[in-house]
Amino acid sequence: MNHNPVNWGRPSDDQYGPYNYQIANASNVASQATKNSQNEFPTMHTQQPMITGASVVAVKFNDGVVMATDKLGSYGSLLRLDDLERMIQVGDSTVVGVSGDISDFQYLQRLLDELLIEDNYDMEQSNLKASHVHEYLRGVFYNRRSKMNPLWNACVVAGFDADGEVFLKYVNLLGVSYSSPAIATGFGAYMGVPLLRQKVENEEDVKKLEKEDAIKLVRDCMKVLFYRDARSWDKYDLCVITKSTKKIEFQKGLECEGQSWKFARDISGYGLPQQ
Amino acid sequence: MTSIGTGYDLANSIFSPDGRNFQVEYASKAVENAGTSIGICCKDGVVLATEKVINSKLLVPGKNRRIQSIDRHVGVVYSGLIPDGRHFVNRGRDEARSFKSIYKEPIGLQGLIDRLGYFVQAYTCYNSVRPFGINAIVGGIDSKGPHLFMVEPSGTYWGYYGTATGKGRQSARAELEKLDLPNISAKDAVKEAARIIYLAHEDNKDKDFELEVSWVSKSETNGVHQFVPKELFDEAVKYAEEEQESDEDEDESDEGDEEMA
Amino acid sequence: MFRNNYDNDVTTFSPTGRIFQVEYALEAIKQGSAAVGMVSKNHVVLVALKRNAEELGSYQKKVIKIDEHLGVALAGLAPDARVLSNFLRQQAMSSKMVFNRPLNLSKAVYSIADKAQENTQSAGGRPYGVGLLIAGIDETGPHLYEFQPSGSVLEYYGTAIGARSQAARTFLEDKYEEFADASKEKLIEYALTALRDTLAQDKELNLYNTTVAVVGKDEPFTIYDDDRVQQWLDLLDSLSNKRHKSSDDENKEEGEEKNEEEEKNEEEEKKNDTEEAEQHDAAQDHPESSHEGDRMDTD
Repeated sequence: MNHNPVNWGRPSDDQYGPYNYQIANASNVASQATKNSQNEFPTMHTQQPMITGASVVAVKFNDGVVMATDKLGSYGSLLRLDDLERMIQVGDSTVVGVSGDISDFQYLQRLLDELLIEDNYDMEQSNLKASHVHEYLRGVFYNRRSKMNPLWNACVVAGFDADGEVFLKYVNLLGVSYSSPAIATGFGAYMGVPLLRQKVENEEDVKKLEKEDAIKLVRDCMKVLFYRDARSWDKYDLCVITKSTKKIEFQKGLECEGQSWKFARDISGYGLPQQ
Repeated sequence: MTSIGTGYDLANSIFSPDGRNFQVEYASKAVENAGTSIGICCKDGVVLATEKVINSKLLVPGKNRRIQSIDRHVGVVYSGLIPDGRHFVNRGRDEARSFKSIYKEPIGLQGLIDRLGYFVQAYTCYNSVRPFGINAIVGGIDSKGPHLFMVEPSGTYWGYYGTATGKGRQSARAELEKLDLPNISAKDAVKEAARIIYLAHEDNKDKDFELEVSWVSKSETNGVHQFVPKELFDEAVKYAEEEQESDEDEDESDEGDEEMA
Repeated sequence: MFRNNYDNDVTTFSPTGRIFQVEYALEAIKQGSAAVGMVSKNHVVLVALKRNAEELGSYQKKVIKIDEHLGVALAGLAPDARVLSNFLRQQAMSSKMVFNRPLNLSKAVYSIADKAQENTQSAGGRPYGVGLLIAGIDETGPHLYEFQPSGSVLEYYGTAIGARSQAARTFLEDKYEEFADASKEKLIEYALTALRDTLAQDKELNLYNTTVAVVGKDEPFTIYDDDRVQQWLDLLDSLSNKRHKSSDDENKEEGEEKNEEEEKNEEEEKKNDTEEAEQHDAAQDHPESSHEGDRMDTD
């Protein structure tokens, strides 16, 4: 066993021969190898996201869901796009917040738009609820990852289910999905969720959280994420889904208010010590 | 129809010695006795309406819809063999979807009708298929404004300000010509459409019917094809019935229509 | 005998714009025994008359379950119905798989309608030879649809298909206003009464030849056959056709007079045909119907 962390997970050289770093140059074009050619690599698809969106933060309250996404599209560490909207409204029952690769997000956007058009073909009452959209996305993600060609996203689907109840569920590029009263993707899962869970640990707590408090809670999360996540941004969109009015309302272009960077002085352990 | 029995009308894709394609003409006959459908191009949109003939009182009223959507911005109504119409619409949806998947924007009306024209025409070319037994009225809004077309079983299509097909097409067209198209508002077009369908039903009086009206307009529906809301529908029916009554009272009421508009 | 030149294939229009092969396919429905369906606010009921080809043979299935919320009754070529129901089952499973939601009723019926239409516009196949009553519940409530081989689908409060079904429809037209508020039991009673009206003179409903199926808001699609039908037959005051009540022939052995009876049926059917043909706008070129040769078994 090689105890060097860099080599963890690698096939051992003793058994498989030295690792071929050329494999990174494998083509994404289907291999046209003949039987004899030894040096053909397997087909390779997406290995990393390109332009990315950061966290989606969402929490249930006693009459619905609040969800937020910031407006940044990062190209690595470059602030590439600063006016993105990463929440898609699908009909009158569903909002999907998407983080991860932006071109894959746009592809999802088109998929969901097509889904909506097909749902409206008969021009009768819509039957496409949040639970259906979630199930559909889960299928899309899982099928794609099973072809070793994932859509590089993590999504939060919020809205109303077939019974008109509030719905909030997560699904990501692997097809992994779960529901919880407080959900966040990306860095939000580490730094947002603990804050959300201080208020809503379980479904019981949801009944005690008012809409205004939920909005404040999510806005605080967005601020903390802006403080600590270098790929986040202080301008964001917020969406409030209300069960009693059956309404989905957006507040677009909000900013992190009341920022205070005093805490930054006390942070240590990164790079050169600040003097 | 003097050529019946000469054998040139027994299969599709065959010309008679005088250059006619009888099977296509016969397909049109399937349209001629069907319920009337009309399309109206108005100021900022299109209104479609149809006379849905009701053959049994056991049918659920308001269901069995006949007007369909091809895309958000495109509606279709047809007279003739209803299942053929659905087949036609399904093809339209495929075309709209494929256009969008390539160009990432909604298909234009001219482009759509062009493709559908090809499709219908293809069914006149082979003896392994038969022509469509429908006249389909396709209307909608695109970036160039409202458009209205009608496709015939031969694959021919024309653009219209107003058009009618089915049993009552003659009287319906006569009424359409009296309207100031395309300068009327969408709401007025809905009411006139209802009136014209009621009037065209006179040609088919022994049967019950249900009126169906849809519209797509920039100002009224934000460019989305949908059925007219119930209040407007009821208002239109009321107007249609009143006009019909006054028509019966005094046999001459053409001026009345125009005042209303 | 006069031969109609326009009825050889499905790709030929007659000079009046009719497609005879499709109309003949519709006739195949009438060769099958009757099925009746009706809807209330909370339930949909299907009932059907089963035939057995011979004394020692089994009765042919008339109702097929598609999903927990959906089922069909058939009249005409049973194998065609099996193919169509199989397709419906695939649709139902796909809806569950993709959206985790039960298949929408109108989506379901139009999916087979569009499938049937294809067989009426291109050569190399034949239209389906079966009519279906599709009963089910979805998010918009209970629905009953009639499917025809022409690719036509219509939603009804109540309707009947198959041999002598006009008698049942007449009954339904008389009573349909009462369906909406009827209880499940009452609805089944109505449906069985309508079915009874389609019986030939010396036949009666019994637990072997009657199928009842119900689907309700809180009740999955359930088929009642054999012993389980008796509870529903008990709702009726009489099991033989009331219209023939004057005749005193009870306790006749089933099947014995089958041939004779079928002929009677056919006669009556032909009468119905001509009546219906007259109702058509352009019936001039309706051909002489002659179905004497070998005919496919229908149910």
